Amino acid sequence: MTNLLLGLRAIPQIEYHRPTKLREALRLLSKYKESYKIVAGGTDLMPAARRSTASLPRHTHVIDIGSIKELNYITMDDSIVRIGAATKISEIEISPVIRKHIPILADAASQLGSIQIRNLGTIGGNLCNASPAADTAPPLLVLDAKVNLKGINGQRLVPLTEFFTGPGGTILVPGEILTEVQIPITEPTAGSCFIKLGRRNAFTLSIVCVATLVKVKDGVFDDVRIALGAVAPTPIRATKAEEYLTGEGVSEPAIDEGAKVAASEVAPIDDVRASAEYRRDMSYVLTKGAISASVQQAGGKCSN
Amino acid sequence: MKVPIETKVNNKTYKLEVEARFTLLDILREELKIKSVHRGCEHGECGACTVLLSGKPVCSCLVLAPQVDGAEITTVEGLLKDKELHPLMMAFIENHAIQCGYCTPGVIMMAYYLLNNRPEFTDEELRKGIAGNLCRCTGYVHIIRAIKAAKEYKDSGNWW
Amino acid sequence: MKERERRLVSGNGFYVDDIELPNMAHCIFAGSPYAHARIKSIDASRALEVSGVLAVITGREVVELMDPLPATSNYGAIGWHWRIPKAYPLAVDKVRYQGEPVAAIIAEHPYIALDAAELIDIEFEQLPPISDVNQAMRPESPLVYEEWGDNIQVHLEFNFGDVDEAFKEADRVIRVSWHEGRVSGFPIESRGCIASYDRITGMLNMWSSTQAPFLGRQYISSALRLPTTKVRIVAADVGGAFGNKVNWWKDTVVGLGSIVTERPVKWVESKKEFFLTGAHNRDVTWDGEVAVRNDGSILGVKAKFLKDLGVEGTNRGSAAMGIIPACCSVANAYHLKGIRIEAYGVVTNKSPYCAYRGYGKDKGIKFMERIIQVVAHELELEPEQIRFRNFIQPDEFPYKQLSGYVYDSGDYPAVLGKVLELGEVSSWRQKQEQARKQGKYIGVGMAFSVEPAGVAAPHCIFGGLTQARVRITSDGLVEVENDQTEIGQGSNTTRAKVVANILGAKLDDIEVKRDSSDMPGSGVYSSRGAIYPTGALIRAATELKARVIKFASHFMNEEPAHIDINDSVIHSTKEPTKRMSLKELADCVYFHPGPRGLPQEMQAKHEVLLDVCASWFSPNTAQNPTSTYTTYCSGADVAVVEVDVETGAVSILKYAHVHDAGTLLDKDIVEGQIFGGIVQGIGEALSEELVYTRSGELLNTSYTDYVIPTAQDSPDIVIGHVETPSPFTELGQKGMGEAPIIGSKAAMINAIEDALSPFKIRITESPATRERVRKWISESQRRLIP
Repeated sequence: MTNLLLGLRAIPQIEYHRPTKLREALRLLSKYKESYKIVAGGTDLMPAARRSTASLPRHTHVIDIGSIKELNYITMDDSIVRIGAATKISEIEISPVIRKHIPILADAASQLGSIQIRNLGTIGGNLCNASPAADTAPPLLVLDAKVNLKGINGQRLVPLTEFFTGPGGTILVPGEILTEVQIPITEPTAGSCFIKLGRRNAFTLSIVCVATLVKVKDGVFDDVRIALGAVAPTPIRATKAEEYLTGEGVSEPAIDEGAKVAASEVAPIDDVRASAEYRRDMSYVLTKGAISASVQQAGGKCSN
Repeated sequence: MKVPIETKVNNKTYKLEVEARFTLLDILREELKIKSVHRGCEHGECGACTVLLSGKPVCSCLVLAPQVDGAEITTVEGLLKDKELHPLMMAFIENHAIQCGYCTPGVIMMAYYLLNNRPEFTDEELRKGIAGNLCRCTGYVHIIRAIKAAKEYKDSGNWW
Repeated sequence: MKERERRLVSGNGFYVDDIELPNMAHCIFAGSPYAHARIKSIDASRALEVSGVLAVITGREVVELMDPLPATSNYGAIGWHWRIPKAYPLAVDKVRYQGEPVAAIIAEHPYIALDAAELIDIEFEQLPPISDVNQAMRPESPLVYEEWGDNIQVHLEFNFGDVDEAFKEADRVIRVSWHEGRVSGFPIESRGCIASYDRITGMLNMWSSTQAPFLGRQYISSALRLPTTKVRIVAADVGGAFGNKVNWWKDTVVGLGSIVTERPVKWVESKKEFFLTGAHNRDVTWDGEVAVRNDGSILGVKAKFLKDLGVEGTNRGSAAMGIIPACCSVANAYHLKGIRIEAYGVVTNKSPYCAYRGYGKDKGIKFMERIIQVVAHELELEPEQIRFRNFIQPDEFPYKQLSGYVYDSGDYPAVLGKVLELGEVSSWRQKQEQARKQGKYIGVGMAFSVEPAGVAAPHCIFGGLTQARVRITSDGLVEVENDQTEIGQGSNTTRAKVVANILGAKLDDIEVKRDSSDMPGSGVYSSRGAIYPTGALIRAATELKARVIKFASHFMNEEPAHIDINDSVIHSTKEPTKRMSLKELADCVYFHPGPRGLPQEMQAKHEVLLDVCASWFSPNTAQNPTSTYTTYCSGADVAVVEVDVETGAVSILKYAHVHDAGTLLDKDIVEGQIFGGIVQGIGEALSEELVYTRSGELLNTSYTDYVIPTAQDSPDIVIGHVETPSPFTELGQKGMGEAPIIGSKAAMINAIEDALSPFKIRITESPATRERVRKWISESQRRLIP
């Protein structure tokens, strides 16, 4: 027997919980281990729920963490910026701390969705939804961010590079919630850049997005970090390209070659948004552009 | 599952028992009969359901009704003074920015927010600001003119 | 004035979803997951057990309780290869496209209906899907309609002038091919209606988001076996239409639902459902040759034209008809000697084809505008030179085009000349040269469109029906009614203005009644609003004025020749003190003294009311039966773009448009239509395309993946006007609204091709998405490397 196609699936009957404290939330996650979903802004959960039963089964316990003040903050201490998981993308976009110390995260935030989406969506949601195209992921990856995962029995601090397991998949176990993102601040001498390419100028999913962070010393690449989104089952660091460039003299041919190496590390798919070939091609184009821009920002000179 | 909430909509406080599965869009239209908030796509992709939630524009189709407990919501009905149209609305009428009118309330709420919070926009920034409000009728030209005309009203003190 | 806009801006809309009736239930449709399958069994028993579900209607009930949907055209009867399959609004034994409605579920709340829909058990036997139009034409292809023996719904050959002669005289014959991807309007408000059947009176009242309530009544009454006198349809506020709301089929099921449940039933279509089952358009391929002289004269065109109709049968031939204007409009604004087109409308397992702004004529025009670009390039002439050389000249109007269309008026050289100026073409060409030296690629593109408007086609429902009624009410106000349904195009305003100007009444005293099936008329599409409905309105208002003056002459004791009306005051032009307001006159005519107080000869002629009905038919079509359309407005576009050759992204640096819609009834409304149409065309040029897989699955069913322009994708637009009044309408006004969506797409494609000319790229398909542009560049780079 087959299910008929519906234009819209109704949000099903759900059990709604709105803890105001983190420990309350953790208790609920532990209690309803088999059948909960966390919601903050709803910008991923709600459209998904309308498309398929699997995204929000009947009688799911929906745990709304949006009013947990302990999860909503942007602070800085000891050169680490800490962002609570329930912090809105729009807050990240305008935060003076982030704009000054980790500007590419603010850049990515400013291009995520529309103003309406940014006012609802959270950084925790963006990461935990684990779309390969999550806009905040490439900046956080090059910034060597760590995420704090907490359950009722303890917590663990995990590098973001180890967080994603596949499209929609993370290492979160039932009962665990991402509470905080920790990002070491970008050294003022480093240059960074975030570029996103979609199918139109605004309010568009990434076909490819790239974040780079570059330090240049005496005309040589001292530290190079490249991350790409929407071109692999998870957002990735292009470690081979990073290796290739580190120690290379800063020059256009080197950047070009480095970008080619980065493009060889991606594993994109064909879908209605773009073909794998275009994604691979754009990985090269955007990486090249992002590294060049980062170099310029770092004050390094490009020699031919 | 019914959830009791208290919410202030257009400056009026409501105590409601809402179905957990209903969205803010559902309760505004069905419970409170606020019809300006439109069903466009119900996926957060078109902005026709844009309202101000605690002062910030959001797609009401993405918000579960219980989530607005304690929050304040503004729709175009809340911009009226008695029955008098807000200067922003007059600017839309005078600049022919309303064709079918279906995207209009959502655009007005976004424009209201931009004019109050980011008034020094360039043309490009204004276009980016309303990028989350899709319109199929106007090509956005008259809408941009209307918002800029509204800015002049605001700057001259004709505003609330 | 602007009463509708005041309502809409303050939250007082009357869209279908805003309307609530007591005891109202809700209907949702559930469709097939497969593109092609036989229905083996449907069991709705579990769905019916859900508390709050009132009824489940499937094909079985529909066949029993309804007649098949009525055909909208009947060209088979005059010997054409023209097939209209029998169709019901729900699938009966077979589904033919993904999403085809299989069941309608009626419940107390839409969410209950949606929940219950998941409990309908249905067994399908899948059949091989046909999703490629070329494959569909092959003899071994699976059949969408077995009884046809093939998949060709329409096969027509058009022969205009003497194409063989044209090709004999040619210096060169150049091949041109051009494909438009599948596209449609998808206004922000999807479709929907409310049906309320009263068992006692037998009346079915409906409210609908529709462009054509009177035609809707025809459909509904025919399908539901009700006399037309028992069906009334009121147009709600319509949240955009663009042709997508001119057909009626799911609405018949909503009507049936009300009859069966004896409750009012509301249906509000979701966006995904609109994408899946909506009125798709474009999706055409031209494969042709153009015969030219070296001086740029275009002598003739031969082409094969292929249109992928999907399951157009649901829309009963009304969309297949678009093939005719498509082929007839190829000649566009130019002198040609001959055109021959072999046209096919082919069915596949895709959503029903229907009308979308442009309807059919857009396709021929875009093909010709691509031809001009190609010819210009091949002959090394500027594209505007080709146009100026081949234009129909201002002194040739009315001009009978090869197709038989009689173009009413125009000044094409002036329109093109003005847009070249507004678009700063020479200056941009200089910048283009400079830019190339710096490895930047700027392109200048243009297009010219002669838009036939106001159709009266024979043997179909779009036959030129219209009626208007204007009356002075008992308190001196004016009521207006015609079939110019307000769908956001501002017809409430233009109707009021037209009547106010003719009658001399105050604009604020004019009430344009909500459109309904009460007025026999075909509704709004084909840019006909300013022609047919307005024509009827002008006649009615003119006659009403004469009657007002006749009555006033009696009550004021003044000669009719010396009476005029201004600002709702009737006054003597000889003695200014002799005056009465429309209100006073109305009171005299209606009640005090009423008909008893009228002169005897008027009483004898039974002329006692201030109420006039009138119709209108196109003098153009009457005098020239081959001129299916009445007026022919023209538009010219210039687009200047820059192409990022690394990503394929196109930015618009300048956009200019000049329009000739004859006498303008309301310049701001006309410009609003132009701006909207241009941005839709830009969307078609750069990003809009409905994509089906080989198995007939539609991949983009939302605004995320069917990419329309946001405000940040839309340019500032510079606009200019030329006015050459039409000799075929009372005020010289021409229908307009579709030219902008046509020229903009062609101008953008031409501009992109111009930008990429160093890469020697010939564009043969649209949209020019970023990925496609990049692919064209990469392929050409590979070709160009020695």
